[in-house]
Amino acid sequence: MAGFKKEKPTARANYPKLHASDPLTGFDAETREKVSFMENYIMKNCLWQFNSRGWDRRKQNEGILGKTTKLLLGEEVENETPLEKCYWVDAVLLSRAFRERCAWLAGMGKDEVQALMKILHARIDWLTIDGSLNEELTVQNY
Amino acid sequence: MPYHEFDCSKVIPERKQHAVVKGEGEDLTSCLPKGYLNTIPGSISERGCAYCGAKHVIGTPMKDVIHISHGPVGCTYDTWQTKRYISDNNNFQLKYTFATDVKEKHIVFGAESLLKQNIHEAFDAFPEIKRMTIYQTCATALIGDDINAIADEVMAERPDVDIFVCNSPGFAGPSQSGGHHKINIAWLNQKVGTVEPEITSDYVINYVGEYNIQGDQEVMQDYFKRMGIQVLSTFTGNGSYDDLRAMHRAHLNVLECARSAEYICDELRARYGIPRLDIDGFGFKALGDSLRKIGLFFGIEDRAEAIIAAETARWKPELDWYAARLKGKRVCLWPGGSKLWHWANAIQEEMGVKVVSVYTKFGHQGDMEKGIARAGVGTLAIDDPNELEGQEALLRLKPDVIFTGKRPGEVAKKMRVPYLNAHAYHNGPYKGFEGWVRFARDIYNAVYSPMHQLSGVDISKDDYATDKGFVTRRMLSDASLPEADRASPLTGYTGKFDPIEALRAKTDADYPQFARKSSPQAAE
Repeated sequence: MAGFKKEKPTARANYPKLHASDPLTGFDAETREKVSFMENYIMKNCLWQFNSRGWDRRKQNEGILGKTTKLLLGEEVENETPLEKCYWVDAVLLSRAFRERCAWLAGMGKDEVQALMKILHARIDWLTIDGSLNEELTVQNY
Repeated sequence: MPYHEFDCSKVIPERKQHAVVKGEGEDLTSCLPKGYLNTIPGSISERGCAYCGAKHVIGTPMKDVIHISHGPVGCTYDTWQTKRYISDNNNFQLKYTFATDVKEKHIVFGAESLLKQNIHEAFDAFPEIKRMTIYQTCATALIGDDINAIADEVMAERPDVDIFVCNSPGFAGPSQSGGHHKINIAWLNQKVGTVEPEITSDYVINYVGEYNIQGDQEVMQDYFKRMGIQVLSTFTGNGSYDDLRAMHRAHLNVLECARSAEYICDELRARYGIPRLDIDGFGFKALGDSLRKIGLFFGIEDRAEAIIAAETARWKPELDWYAARLKGKRVCLWPGGSKLWHWANAIQEEMGVKVVSVYTKFGHQGDMEKGIARAGVGTLAIDDPNELEGQEALLRLKPDVIFTGKRPGEVAKKMRVPYLNAHAYHNGPYKGFEGWVRFARDIYNAVYSPMHQLSGVDISKDDYATDKGFVTRRMLSDASLPEADRASPLTGYTGKFDPIEALRAKTDADYPQFARKSSPQAAE
């Protein structure tokens, strides 16, 4: 057997739930419409949100949507590891798509964009992790 | 939950949880069938077995290898040559198949000596091949044959050979997907890290979950080489055994079929820190975005953009020609696993068809999440369907064409529904920009070919109209088109019958030479 770094993080399958209900509930119609538009783009065109385990999905969503937010805000994005860089490339494509398709982003202030992206992040977490019906998300091994 | 109960499956009430209709306002928290569970007794599944999944899907596309099944000969027949994963070494792995041909007496007295004899015979018959994979089957697993011990004995006797053992008998999982999982992990544990490769570029990838169906891998590899990227290994289509032992040295794992090969990517990330980047090789937008992402990762996005621009200019008009004629055509997208999400959005957006149903034979709930997310309202999604359910769905949905495997495809043909082979293709490759046009061409021909109408005529009765047997494209697909489309001088696909031949004829001199930024050692 070849040598490799051993990792048995069985605890990783016990990641905490962040949302007990749909985080989009209660927001005004305009916000819901904007988030739904962005969500629909992600669902139709991206794959990163659907890694097979819940702990990976949490990292993917946070890594890619976090960097997307920074790119939309014009902030510098640091990619210290290859894994970070991998999040970044998906974030670059997503931020370009949002800028191209969501003309209303240009008219929003930085705080508003940040707040909107936070709601989007929560919504994607809800759909793919916390509210997901996928029974394999908590399987301990890949 | 918007479950759909088939009339034919009312006697198997558990089946209800395996089909849903995506309704208005439904999302993945309210609309997802069960998946990757043991087939319910009474439902005649279309699935394969775990041995088949390991050998047929993943192991056998490796090209420079003797692939031998340790079991009854029938197992081998059913996993041989039925999927067109070609290779650039004259299709060695397709032309020759090997089995130990276990019989009743071996079940009683053991088959280890039979296996050893077969291994030696195979290596003697093909002395230029020094690599072998051995696949456990149900029979030899149950009698406890120790394949690893025999492989070790042979490797000790023949120091120039290397053997990989895959312990994935047919019963080792609910479907072929169990075999995908087992061979992923077995290859990683047994072989990755046992060869140190020569690094020739600053940009090194493993291309994972790609099986070179009718040349898909060679099309994509051509793009990567045009970008100056070294494809260290392909897991596993057109892939070399020793290249795949060196997967640990790649800078990036580019993952195509996550269903069959995400496991090895996830473990390579955990054990070696190699990132996993999921891509779509199907569809102009998805493929363009995929090449851009790989280019971005390595800081060479301009090279990707140049390819995208050239290929789009060459092929997009021909894709649009088909899209104008396929608009609104109803499709049942019923593949085995990953193509339900690879294709669901791209064929609707770029070819204008409407996906009315998705299904998966061996997919997991994660595949259905992707497929349902990409499908539209009203789509019927079915997990692990049986033949009666398939027939009922076809009668209800009345699709213009179905993309599926050849077994359900034959059923569809009998019901006069044109069928395209989603696994082995009809006239692929379907990946790449040109490949996507070839797929559109095949869909067009499937939908419009007069052959399908004529197949409903009983020619033994001489009462059909002899003056209406011939129709043209203008009568079939163009009659209701806008004038501008009808006046177009284009006539669809203009590529060659075999686009792979030209790719294989290319040499290093045909690819751009990029100066390396780092020394070979630093790159490693």
